[in-house]
Amino acid sequence: MDHPSDSATIATSSLAPRKGRSSRPHYLEQSDGDDGGIRLFKLAKKETVIGRAEDAPVRLISPKASRQHAILHRRSGEFIIQDNGSRNGVYLNGLKVWRALLRDGDIIQIADSEFVYREG
Amino acid sequence: MAVFVTFWGTRGSIPTPGNSTRVYGGNTPCVEVRVDDALFICDAGSGIRELGADLLTREDRPDELHLLITHTHWDHIQGFPFFAPAYMPNTRIRVYGTALGDESRHQLLSGQMSSSYFPVGFGELKAEILDDVFTEGSKEIGDTRVACFPLNHPGGCFGYSFKRGDVKIVYLTDNEIENDPKEVRDDPSTEEKPRTVPVELIEAVRGADLLIADAQYTDEEYEDKRGWGHTSCLTVTDLAIQSGVKKLALFHHDPTTNDNGVDERVRLCGERAAQFKSEIFVFGAREGVTLKF
Repeated sequence: MDHPSDSATIATSSLAPRKGRSSRPHYLEQSDGDDGGIRLFKLAKKETVIGRAEDAPVRLISPKASRQHAILHRRSGEFIIQDNGSRNGVYLNGLKVWRALLRDGDIIQIADSEFVYREG
Repeated sequence: MAVFVTFWGTRGSIPTPGNSTRVYGGNTPCVEVRVDDALFICDAGSGIRELGADLLTREDRPDELHLLITHTHWDHIQGFPFFAPAYMPNTRIRVYGTALGDESRHQLLSGQMSSSYFPVGFGELKAEILDDVFTEGSKEIGDTRVACFPLNHPGGCFGYSFKRGDVKIVYLTDNEIENDPKEVRDDPSTEEKPRTVPVELIEAVRGADLLIADAQYTDEEYEDKRGWGHTSCLTVTDLAIQSGVKKLALFHHDPTTNDNGVDERVRLCGERAAQFKSEIFVFGAREGVTLKF
C-alpha cells in the first residue's frame, strides 16, 4: 500500500530517452599552438588520424611525427588511441602505450604536441 | 619480435564497477601477455570476459591459449565461466599447475561450474581444457621462458615471469612482502634506504622491463591489514628499485580505492623512487591499456 503522503504522485510507466556518453561529442584540446590559444578537435568520426600527413584531421607539424602517427577509434561511444607503428610512440599521462582506452582528462603526447582528451 | 601486455582486470578482491573506478577499471585480475603467436593469460578474474570477447574479433587468434592462475582465490578464477573461447571448438586452453600432480587450478575452475554455482557445466565447454605443469619451476613455452615462483599469501600463491630475448615481464600479485608483525615503521620520508625485501624475490624480478605488482595498500592501510596477503605500495616500490626494474605497474587496486586514490599511490611511489634516485617509471595498471616491448 502506498504511503499517504505519496498519494498525489501518479506513477509513470514510460521512460525519457537517456542521453548516453555516446551522444555527446568528445574532443581533443591542444594548448601548445603558436598563438598560445587552445585548439579543439571534435571527434565526430569513427576513425581520426593524428599525424604529419597533409590530410590528417589532427595534423602535426613536426619532423618527430610520423605521417599517420596514431589513430583514434570510436567504440561504443568511447575512444581508443592506437599507435600506428610510429617511430617515436604515443604517450598517455607520461607512459608509452601501444593502445589505450581514453578517459576524460587524459594527456596524450605525440612528437612535440600535447593534447587533453575531453569527454563531452 | 615484440611483446604486448594488456590489462583486462586490475582490481583486487571483488569487481568494483562505477564512476569512481572508471579510469583504472573495476574488473578483477586478468593480464594478457602476447609474444608473437603465443598468448599467455595471467589469472581469470572478471576481466577475462572482455579478453575473451576481444579474442573472438581477432583474425590472428591462436588456437592454443596458456592460462596461468596465480592461486585459486575467487577474484582470480571467477571470470572463467564467462570466457567465450572456452565455449569454442578448435580451441585448446592449457591450465598450468606449479608442481607435478598439482591439479588444484583445473579442479577449482571446474568446481565453480558445478550446478550449485553456475548453470553451464564444465563438461559442456567445447574447448579442449588441458592440464600442464611446471615441473622444475620454469619451462619453455613457444620461444618464451616462463618461470613460476612462490609468493607470500594465505593459502599460497605464485608469481610468473616471461622472458623472450631481452624482454622480461613479471606478474607478481597477491603477495605480502612484509610479514613481520613486530615491525614498526618510521615516517617513510625519513627512511635512509629501501626496505629489506626477500632476496629470492629480488632475483625473480631482477632486470624486469615491466613489473606488475600487488600494491593494494598505503603504509597506513597496511597497518590494519597485516597478514591479509597484500603489500604496501611503498614496499613494492622498494622491491622494484632494488631489482633494477624499468617500469612498475601498481596492481590489484583495493575495492575501496577510487581513481583519485590510485593516482595518489602513483604519486607517492614516484616520490619514493626519486627519494632513492631511481629512474623507475611508476604508473597505475589500468584496464584497456596495452604496452609494447
